[in-house]
Amino acid sequence: VADAAPQAPVPKRQALFRWKGIIPMAIFAVVLLGGWKFFGARLIKSGITASGTAVVGSQVDLDGLSIHFFPPSFEMRGFAIADNEDLMRNRLAVGRALVAVELLPLFQKKVIVKSVTVADVQTGSARTVRAKFVPPDTTPGGLGFETRELVKRVKVPVMSLVPIDSLKAVVLNPQDLKAVQAAVALGVQADSAKALADKGYSQLNLQPALDSSSAVIGRLKDVNVRTLGVDGARKALADLRRTAAQVDSAKNRVDKLVTDTKRSMDSLQALVGAMDDARKDDYASARGLLKLPSFDAPDIGAALFGDATMARFHQAIHYAELARKYAPPGLLPKESPGPKRVRMAGSTVHFVKQESYPRFLARRVELNLVGNGPTGVDYAAAASDITSDPAIIGRPTLFVARRVGKGKEGDSLRISGSMDHTKDTPRDAVTAVMGGVPLPKFTLPMLPYTLDAGVGAAQMRFALEGDKLSGTWTVRSDAVVWRPDSARARSLNTMETLVARALTGINTLEITADIGGTLKAPTLGVRSNLDRVVAERIRAVAGEQIAAAQARLKAQVDRLVDEKSAPVKAKVAEVRAESDRKLAEAKAKLEAEKQKLEERLKALAGGVNLPRLPGRP
Amino acid sequence: MLAILKLLQSLVKTLHSDGTPGQIAAGIALGAALGLTPIANAHNLIVLLLLAVLNVSFASGMLAFAIFVPVGFMFDPIFHRIGRMLLVETPSLRPMWTAMDNVPGLALTNFNNTVVLGSVVVWLVLFVPIYFAARVGVVKYRATIGQKVMNSKFYKALQASKLYNVYTLFRG
Repeated sequence: VADAAPQAPVPKRQALFRWKGIIPMAIFAVVLLGGWKFFGARLIKSGITASGTAVVGSQVDLDGLSIHFFPPSFEMRGFAIADNEDLMRNRLAVGRALVAVELLPLFQKKVIVKSVTVADVQTGSARTVRAKFVPPDTTPGGLGFETRELVKRVKVPVMSLVPIDSLKAVVLNPQDLKAVQAAVALGVQADSAKALADKGYSQLNLQPALDSSSAVIGRLKDVNVRTLGVDGARKALADLRRTAAQVDSAKNRVDKLVTDTKRSMDSLQALVGAMDDARKDDYASARGLLKLPSFDAPDIGAALFGDATMARFHQAIHYAELARKYAPPGLLPKESPGPKRVRMAGSTVHFVKQESYPRFLARRVELNLVGNGPTGVDYAAAASDITSDPAIIGRPTLFVARRVGKGKEGDSLRISGSMDHTKDTPRDAVTAVMGGVPLPKFTLPMLPYTLDAGVGAAQMRFALEGDKLSGTWTVRSDAVVWRPDSARARSLNTMETLVARALTGINTLEITADIGGTLKAPTLGVRSNLDRVVAERIRAVAGEQIAAAQARLKAQVDRLVDEKSAPVKAKVAEVRAESDRKLAEAKAKLEAEKQKLEERLKALAGGVNLPRLPGRP
Repeated sequence: MLAILKLLQSLVKTLHSDGTPGQIAAGIALGAALGLTPIANAHNLIVLLLLAVLNVSFASGMLAFAIFVPVGFMFDPIFHRIGRMLLVETPSLRPMWTAMDNVPGLALTNFNNTVVLGSVVVWLVLFVPIYFAARVGVVKYRATIGQKVMNSKFYKALQASKLYNVYTLFRG
């Protein structure tokens, strides 16, 4: 052992941990906390303003933000939402708001608001610095996109009181008429249906069955069971049965073709009906080209107040869309764009379950709003269960606002509503009842006048259930003032002068507007006390000429459409008749052949009771 | 230019440090997370903590961070697709994500973001290959051209450029 060679030094085993590493990490943690102290609130502030601007579609400002950890709360100072239509004014300004939140949900990145204490809340206050205009999101699926599309879908009739002598004939382009387009398409369909019917008929292949039947009948002519003997009779019977089966099979093929052809012809007939409906649309479009004044009161009401009405419903639909985007129904995972960063944002998926906190919840919020300006009034507002996950809360969000304080006796304003997104089909509803409030000014599209409705009463009810719209807007005023619109001042033609004279003599206003249908196919109906007056004036001044112009236009549409549709209709009728005739003939031939086979069987039996042919009772 | 110089310095310094190839490789594999995944996330704090307290090369972790940042940017669309597939398009995983999203603390990991989840998954999958590739690389480097590099003018110039670093510190 003593002579043993010196051993190589054993490498020292490296320790897995180096506990000294905790020291720089602790320093790093202190630096992080310090960074949070100095920059955390600033980061959150910029997050609030950026996301707030994206949500409301106008500039959001926040002067200061303080975050308190024990108890968890944050204090906002100088929170303001600018009015995107008046950049020197705020829609809402909150001087100070202290929001207390629950601690535990914060560890799940969820905000449950315990209480909100606000002070110095104002509406319509003037801004010292002009706000930046936030352009509307025009990307499909973006906020407000659907609402703007809906407004485009509502057909507000255009009306102009054209001079009578300008009611000249309009030359229509046949290619622009929907009925002509439908006729061309139907012609192609008819050709295709005819080709299909001919092909089906040729594929019936009836001749072999008919030939086989004739051959068997010929062969068994003047024979019977006694002359053929037992074996001969058995063979003859088998031949008759086989031939009868062939005839039956051919009949089945004919029956099937009859069914198919009928379906095809019915579809052609439906297209003929659609072509006639398209003609009605063409009448309306052609009338629109002339901008003829209509005698129909609903058309006049929509032309006078349609745009103003849609502006009111537009707001309601926009807020409903906003609510649905940020408080979608159901418990399915919800995907939203990820946080903005230098790296790709990706998308963030929120997984919701019934027994959990929602991502955001404010159980109850109460506000006292101070109005600004000469028409400013004070409001008291309250909302309950404002949440991002209504399916978890299981209760609809309710809100109410009413006018308080200033104003004459009888003046009132009350807005209430609900957003029920707890079920698969969300329902948003709002009702606003106002009395003694300044009403909007209406610009008459066809005359250089503005209708100042003054102070009066207005009421609005609106509901959006799934994609079904329903709403009513009524306006009443006894203090209407008509003001010439200097910006659109021009000399008026005879009809315009007479209508203007009649209208400006009216000092009351009653409008009732109804919206209905769906988001994809909205409908709008507007009635007012002015409709009748305008209709009477138009009828008195230019009724005959307008009626004649409309008749000429209708005749022109009819002529252009008939040129294309009449031959197509004839072709459809011909295809149908020919197809029916051929199939009826085929069926008759086969039936006759079957009859002959039956008779031959009787003759063959010669009084002996033989089994009947297949397919016979 | 200065950043590239510093990166080269760091690379050479790491390769010629006293650390074993295993320590350097583990540092690189851990540091890859900092570059591959979006940095401001809770899991990177854990990676940083591991780099500090485990007996691995911290410098190589930082080097890997610098190297993998452009890789991360480049592969973000792929991370997003992987993350989306796991979060949205695999219904069988939905209960797990739902549970995670509602557990206090775990919800702060941002694993419900497609890019974060996708990149973390890719990093975890690549962790072992990166470790072994880095380890083999370091061993081969030291056995072949390591000594030559140490004696090269380039290496000496890099060493000398430390003086430039000191100068930049006091430049004002």
